[in-house]
Amino acid sequence: MKNEIAEIKNAFDNISKYFWRHKEYVNRLNVFPVPDGDTGLNIALTIQGALANIPVNLPDNILPGDFLKLISDNMLLNSRGCSGVILSLFFEGMTEVLENNDFSRENILKAIEKGCVTAYKGTDNPREGTMLTLMSELKKKYSEIMTIKENPLELIIDCIPHLKETLDKTPDMLPILKQAGVVDSGGAGFLILLEGLEREFSSRKIPETLPLSVALKINSLLKDLLVKRYLRKKRSDTGTLVQNLGAGNITNARLHNIVHNVQQYLKNRTHNHNNKYQAREALIKDTKEFESSWNPDIRYRYCTELTVSSDKNIDSQALKEQIINYGDSLIISGRGNTYKIHIHTNKPDSVIKDISLFGNIIFRKVDDMKKQHRNFISYDSIEYEKEQSIFCIVSGEGFKKILQSLGADYVYDYGKRKPSVKKLVDLLNSLKSKNIIAAPDDGDILMSLKYAASLCKANVFIVESKNAISLISLLMGKTNEINKTNFLFRDRINNIKHFMISKSAKESSVDGVAVKKGDFFVIYNGKIFLSEKTLKDVAAEAINKLLNDESIITVYKGLHVKGNNLAAGLKNKFPGLEFEEYYGGQTQYHYYITLE
Amino acid sequence: MNKRILIISADNLGIGIDQVPYQHFEYLKYPVLVGEKEYRESETYSASWLLERFVKEKITAKSSSLSRAEMTDLIEKNVNNYDLIIQVVMGSNMSAATFNIAEEVKEKFKDLIPVINIDSRQVVGGTGAVLLRLIDIIKTTDDDETIKKQAGELVTNTFSYYVTPDLNYLNRGGRIGKAKALLGSVLRVLPVIGLMGDDPEGLIIPVGQGRTFKQVNSLIINSIREKMNEKKAEVITVAIISGDESKRDAIDDLKREFEGSIPCKNLIYGKLHLVEAIYMGPGGYSVSVCMK
Repeated sequence: MKNEIAEIKNAFDNISKYFWRHKEYVNRLNVFPVPDGDTGLNIALTIQGALANIPVNLPDNILPGDFLKLISDNMLLNSRGCSGVILSLFFEGMTEVLENNDFSRENILKAIEKGCVTAYKGTDNPREGTMLTLMSELKKKYSEIMTIKENPLELIIDCIPHLKETLDKTPDMLPILKQAGVVDSGGAGFLILLEGLEREFSSRKIPETLPLSVALKINSLLKDLLVKRYLRKKRSDTGTLVQNLGAGNITNARLHNIVHNVQQYLKNRTHNHNNKYQAREALIKDTKEFESSWNPDIRYRYCTELTVSSDKNIDSQALKEQIINYGDSLIISGRGNTYKIHIHTNKPDSVIKDISLFGNIIFRKVDDMKKQHRNFISYDSIEYEKEQSIFCIVSGEGFKKILQSLGADYVYDYGKRKPSVKKLVDLLNSLKSKNIIAAPDDGDILMSLKYAASLCKANVFIVESKNAISLISLLMGKTNEINKTNFLFRDRINNIKHFMISKSAKESSVDGVAVKKGDFFVIYNGKIFLSEKTLKDVAAEAINKLLNDESIITVYKGLHVKGNNLAAGLKNKFPGLEFEEYYGGQTQYHYYITLE
Repeated sequence: MNKRILIISADNLGIGIDQVPYQHFEYLKYPVLVGEKEYRESETYSASWLLERFVKEKITAKSSSLSRAEMTDLIEKNVNNYDLIIQVVMGSNMSAATFNIAEEVKEKFKDLIPVINIDSRQVVGGTGAVLLRLIDIIKTTDDDETIKKQAGELVTNTFSYYVTPDLNYLNRGGRIGKAKALLGSVLRVLPVIGLMGDDPEGLIIPVGQGRTFKQVNSLIINSIREKMNEKKAEVITVAIISGDESKRDAIDDLKREFEGSIPCKNLIYGKLHLVEAIYMGPGGYSVSVCMK
């Protein structure tokens, strides 16, 4: 039995790898229900997550049906996005039937039927022209040809040509697909999985699609040509270029038709004086519609996914009623005491709050679809390489090294000059990460960072940290807390008691503390705490006043401090404490001192 | 219990051999190589002996897998005296070689005696915790399949947390896994790493980091509480705390915090063996908990 299980696992691994290689093709097709452009990635991660969670040491006596059920359970818990959830539901339905370990062609049909029922039932407002249609067509075709062959796997593979035809018809079932000139991405993903299955027998190649940004550029060129340039110039370079475009290479059906029609128009314009104006207007309308189909009004901005678990069975109907009015694309899947919820909403916080009434939320993910859309249609769209990155913005070479070594994925050292919004947008985009936890060392950078976050293509979670120590504090503690699905990290920035030392440039009296010009003063909790003539005295006095049960004092030296070993001097005054000194390189303060 | 059951393990349990409450228990000693020379645990060559040499002489040491010949001899010696042999082995992802040897030996004796190999997915106290709970199981059943099933549940419900001041010891042994992320800090930090029984990969993971022993002890206690919530466990069935005796204050602090905030049926203060000093390094200590 072990060999059989290993073979099944190997087949799933190969199909997963096959899909992973073609995920970008699926990403580029995605326009339904909103163009969030990550259907391919979501399906890929759903399958990968399911396989990664299979225990290494399975019981010796595990049967194929149990093994498939195990994958199905993992798939549901690891599913992402609409398509990932629908695919998981379909597989869940199938494996419920296959648990009996009957892999005859008749039982496989029953399994596909149950898969369809489960997928349709679990989808709120199921629509044709989607992955669901392909599942339903698989059921029909399989049933139709079932008597021809014994082997159910071969029967499924024989259904692929019919499913391709069905996929090509999806634009006729969903107007939004037709407008955009693409087939349904979830359906295409489903087909690629079946082709992956077929590839176990023979190799196949998925056609390349034109990146959307290029398709939009061509469309824009055509529109410009029709609206402006052609009117002014008898001979136009653009016109020549368009006439020589190989329309046959354009796989986007809608754009293919537009290019073809414009070429015909250019070719015949001298022979058709009467209809020339009308034809040009119709073509301009076409290019505008194509453009607008990729800039839809996103009614519900946040794609929100949650997994809720409880000690008791959860009433899924009550759960649905509780949140259905928060948005659309609602999918609730699962059973017993664990459910997975997917919804597009403008109020993710309210959804999370309401769902927490039903149990503990063990997973959450909120994606900003406007951001994703902007990335998707952009000429310089980003192919995300990472799910999450931690990005710190800090002044000081020393702090840069410290933060990097504590686990920050990227640290930008801005020295004396705070970064512009443009610089921050460039840095955020250069991380190629879908989600970014961003933290600056100065409250003054927060505004620019917030604006940059609204302009960049990733989901950015800003930590309102205000100095370098709060960044160290953020990276200390439990590793799993610094996670975009868990907002606990935002509270970690104040965990380290610290103060700053600077030198006064003028005489003043602030917060009830008189400071003379040239004196050193301590800032603690945002206020001037005390001042003294010498650096050592001011540091010792502050430690004396702030010390409770801390045992380690850490001194971070600034850029402009020369040849002064403050830690050694303080050690003489406080022999019972441990002192460490590091180079921070900050320009604003002479020293940061922490008490831990 | 009608069957005569022998349990075999090794000297990386996080507890002393005298702390194993089972009469029919045998154990093998891991070879430890310092330079070219091989050592085995003894009164002279103990964990503290090796830890001291790490600090004073800056030596490097590595462990080897259990000896196939010794494992075979041990089973051969006992094959006629027992009806079933259970081997509790350190995590196969931590030492694939040892687990493979155990499997080969099981195969060799398959016609003479049934052997169950339990991949503990753990080292140090984690393997010890699985062993102690296994002893409880065989008091209630001697059915092979039931034992296998319940042992599987023990494994997936056992979790270990290690404070390893110098991760380079683990890194040199090639067992650092995903905790590599905690290596090479400019600041002096105390990394906390873990082995989670419910992680099918069975690799060492980073749990977090702190600057003081108090901070990392609290971090560990919070992590255990979080895990108990996740597993819906109300009580820890067995916990083992062990470590470098030179860090007695930190270990005592962890013990106090644990006793004060985690409901536990059986908290054992264990000891490190020679081979375990290699994994932990100087100043290292750990707590392992079983929630089943």
